Amino acid sequence: MKSSPRFGLYFLVLLTVVISFFPIIWLILTSFKNTAGIYAWPIQYWPDPFTFENYISIFNNSPELLRYILNSFIVGVGCTAITLMCGGIAAYALSRLRLRFAGVLMVGILAVSMFPPVSLLPSLFQNFLNFGLLNTYTGLILAHAGLFLPFSVWMLASYFATLPVEIEEAAKMDGMGFVRIFLTIILPLSWPGFVATGLIVFIFSWNEFPLALVLMTQNAMRTAPVGISLYPGEYAFPWETISTATVLAIIPVLIITAIFQKQIVGGLTAGAGK
Amino acid sequence: MNNSKLYAVGLAAVMAFGAPITALAQDLVMSIGSRGYGGMVERNIESFQAANPGATVEWNKVSDVPGDSRKLYVTGLMARSSTPDVFAIDVIWAGEFAQRGWLEPLNGLIADDQIAAYNPSFLSAATVDDKVYAAPLYLDGTHLFYRTDLLEKYGLEVPKTWEDVIMASKTVMEGENNPQLYGFVSMWAKIEGLFMNWLSFTGGNGASFFDADGNVAVNSPEAIAATQTMVDILYKHKIAPDSILTMRPNDARTLFQQGRSVFLMVQDFVHAPLSAADSPVAGKFDFTRNPYFAGNKDAHSTALGGWLLAVNANSENKEAAAKLVAHFTSFENQLSAALDENRAPGRTDVYKAPEMETASLIRDFGANFAVGVVRPSAKTGSLYPRVSEAMQIEITNALNQKKTVEKALNDAAAAVKQILGQ
Amino acid sequence: MTQILTLEKRTALTGIGFVTPTVLIIALILIYPIIQSIVLSFGQSSIDGFEPYRFVGLDHYSKLMGDSRFWNALGVTFTFTALSIPLELMFGIGLALLMNETFKFKGWARLAVLFPWALPTALNTLIWRWMYNSDYGLFNAVALQSGLVERPINFLGDDVLAMVAMVVVAVWKTSSFMALIILAGLQSIPRDLFEAGRIDGMNRWTEFTQITLPLLKGPILVALIIRSMDALRTFELPFNLTDGGPAAATESLSLYAYKVIFDFLDFNFGAAIVVVQFLVIFTMSLVYVFALRNKD
Repeated sequence: MKSSPRFGLYFLVLLTVVISFFPIIWLILTSFKNTAGIYAWPIQYWPDPFTFENYISIFNNSPELLRYILNSFIVGVGCTAITLMCGGIAAYALSRLRLRFAGVLMVGILAVSMFPPVSLLPSLFQNFLNFGLLNTYTGLILAHAGLFLPFSVWMLASYFATLPVEIEEAAKMDGMGFVRIFLTIILPLSWPGFVATGLIVFIFSWNEFPLALVLMTQNAMRTAPVGISLYPGEYAFPWETISTATVLAIIPVLIITAIFQKQIVGGLTAGAGK
Repeated sequence: MNNSKLYAVGLAAVMAFGAPITALAQDLVMSIGSRGYGGMVERNIESFQAANPGATVEWNKVSDVPGDSRKLYVTGLMARSSTPDVFAIDVIWAGEFAQRGWLEPLNGLIADDQIAAYNPSFLSAATVDDKVYAAPLYLDGTHLFYRTDLLEKYGLEVPKTWEDVIMASKTVMEGENNPQLYGFVSMWAKIEGLFMNWLSFTGGNGASFFDADGNVAVNSPEAIAATQTMVDILYKHKIAPDSILTMRPNDARTLFQQGRSVFLMVQDFVHAPLSAADSPVAGKFDFTRNPYFAGNKDAHSTALGGWLLAVNANSENKEAAAKLVAHFTSFENQLSAALDENRAPGRTDVYKAPEMETASLIRDFGANFAVGVVRPSAKTGSLYPRVSEAMQIEITNALNQKKTVEKALNDAAAAVKQILGQ
Repeated sequence: MTQILTLEKRTALTGIGFVTPTVLIIALILIYPIIQSIVLSFGQSSIDGFEPYRFVGLDHYSKLMGDSRFWNALGVTFTFTALSIPLELMFGIGLALLMNETFKFKGWARLAVLFPWALPTALNTLIWRWMYNSDYGLFNAVALQSGLVERPINFLGDDVLAMVAMVVVAVWKTSSFMALIILAGLQSIPRDLFEAGRIDGMNRWTEFTQITLPLLKGPILVALIIRSMDALRTFELPFNLTDGGPAAATESLSLYAYKVIFDFLDFNFGAAIVVVQFLVIFTMSLVYVFALRNKD
């Protein structure tokens, strides 16, 4: 009797895996077809000929692709760094220092996290334009930090809250400064939380679209999702280029997800608890 | 002590007076794309620098996708940036950019007789209040491409009217009996190209966007009838694939290139890939001017597009920039662009040059441009994007059969009038 | 006595110091722009600052009320949210239940569930757009070759189908996210409750409805909040899938606002649109936040 439910279970699992993966598999297959194969009718399920020409030519036709990926990295790392640093100390203060305004500020931060990014666009665009922040890494990093700080604060606060209260007491009685407490006691104990938050914020930043679209108008400065989304235009939808570029652009994120899946899942589920 | 002070003053004086002299060594920044005409740009920049020692031109390569480069330009222009000094603009932006004060008028900076040599209907798109704001660099337009082998097989003449096209399509489709073969394919996705297509159809019936008094006339009886033909092509005669409503020029070209369509109506840039060695239809196709409706033999049905060169109103080197523009649009350089890069010249005199005999392709394209129709970008100025958008939406509504043609065009007329404040 | 006071003061000062960078950035990037958008929406100005700002009161808003394209965008946004959220919830709960079981290859399953979430929406939308293509797309190929249909289905060219297509992509991408949040809740349900239920003779279905669901209310609410906020401000999905087409049938409010601001270069009217969008979302978020607080 045990075998029957297990069979159903495994079938569902298989179905889930297939549904989740098939678009990516189709994407990869498409990238290995030549132009005639991509537009073949009847459709080619398996590339024939199986060719690497798209990957070779993409660096001639769209040399900026590597630049896009680099930009995404720089913005992602920068944003993650700022979010973890500023968010970390803010979360610590709000969750462990028993401040009077903590509750209000946490709710406030939660509320502003729901602002639609597009609402910020007219003003952000004009301000960045006037202050020379358009098409700069600083500008977009700052913008992303603003978007993801609320999440970071809430996530880290929930991690800090799980740490026992006593660990700081001794240090405080000794007159240790809060900065030192944070750096020498809290940080080492909660670094899994930092890792999880950092990974998720990096993914958020990598995937962010509206702000990256608007605040970077020079091709050389664009992030990967925006750059690739703009390959199509008035005249054509270059599917060969798009599929190849997409494969290259999602590899970093997929690798990170695969390696750190436990941490990411842990982070998301714990964050949800709050 | 005195000597060095004198020396310092003298140096300062030399620098102050010397400044105008050194200013002749100007650095210009030119923003222009490269697809298809990169050679022309390189050549012209080199010859300009050779003819003007001290002047350097930096080529800032921008995206070849119009929407993309437009956003880039707009950002810089909004910030009143002084560079690029010269940039290439799509014909539909000229009126808008001029109205926003972003372009420097070229009258006086470019010789009058040169201005007089530019294609008049094309130039009108860049003329606001009798001032010329950009110089035509090259033209393109839509043409009707057809399969010579299929027409020959069924003894059909090259169609001149839409009625001919429909009849020919049906004959071939029935004869071939191939569900993968369509009669007619074009770029009817909700893009700028759809508006151009519509202007071809309605222009072919004698209709125009504005009537003689300048009122919006998109819902004239002629326009309605022409648009109805578009709808019929899809639903009544069934000679076009359903997917035509999602097609961009390249998608339509792909279908035609695979041999799956008898007729194709898109811009001339498709000629090169269609004649490439690996194209299934190479050697089996030709083109003619866009069809008109019976009784409108002289109707203007070639939808024109193209690019012009403009000078940034905030440029610090306006005279030099204008010289660069004049250089690119000179007789010799337009001729070499026509011969070497297949760029249809923006000047009418170039077409008559004896060397053009060998460039039969451009010459034939140019013949079709003579019956060209431009989009109403000059008259609508900065409101053009909205007008185009409103038109695209209503035309799409009609093509999707969400509204009857009459209702769609009436709504379009109302929307455009509201936008223009008429 | 003095030492405690100093500690309190020190704590308060540190607290303020620690939160200041965060508050500053948030104020700069999130709060100030909203206020500025509100100001913009009440006036008329030229985009390069050529003409000074001119107060026009509620002009843009009254124009907005009469703008059919705005109401269309609002309707599209609400329809999309109403359709995708229940489906995501359903699949999310299902996935969470699945993930809660123990089985071999759990690592693969978890990865499979995480992948759609990790992909940039913009890029995965492009993948789906290609699969929906009427001439060369995977779905039509399968449908035609299996004899399901005779003519290719114009997924992205039909009003209703385009919306359905959009919902499918959204559900595919975010069900996993919902699942993870609900999984957290599932994992915190004490095992002995299930034991008790089994002793009482409950079958799986009653066990689900009587024990699991009620205890999942919290996580479900959280997931609902986050997802509906996201759905209401959806941008890159219609931008890359249909460009709002066909003819604005899938044009969300964010997309319409973007077009007005950056294609038509009308910052003031666009500001009015985003302010309305912001108000709608803000109101809903307040409702949700209060619901959450009452829950506790």
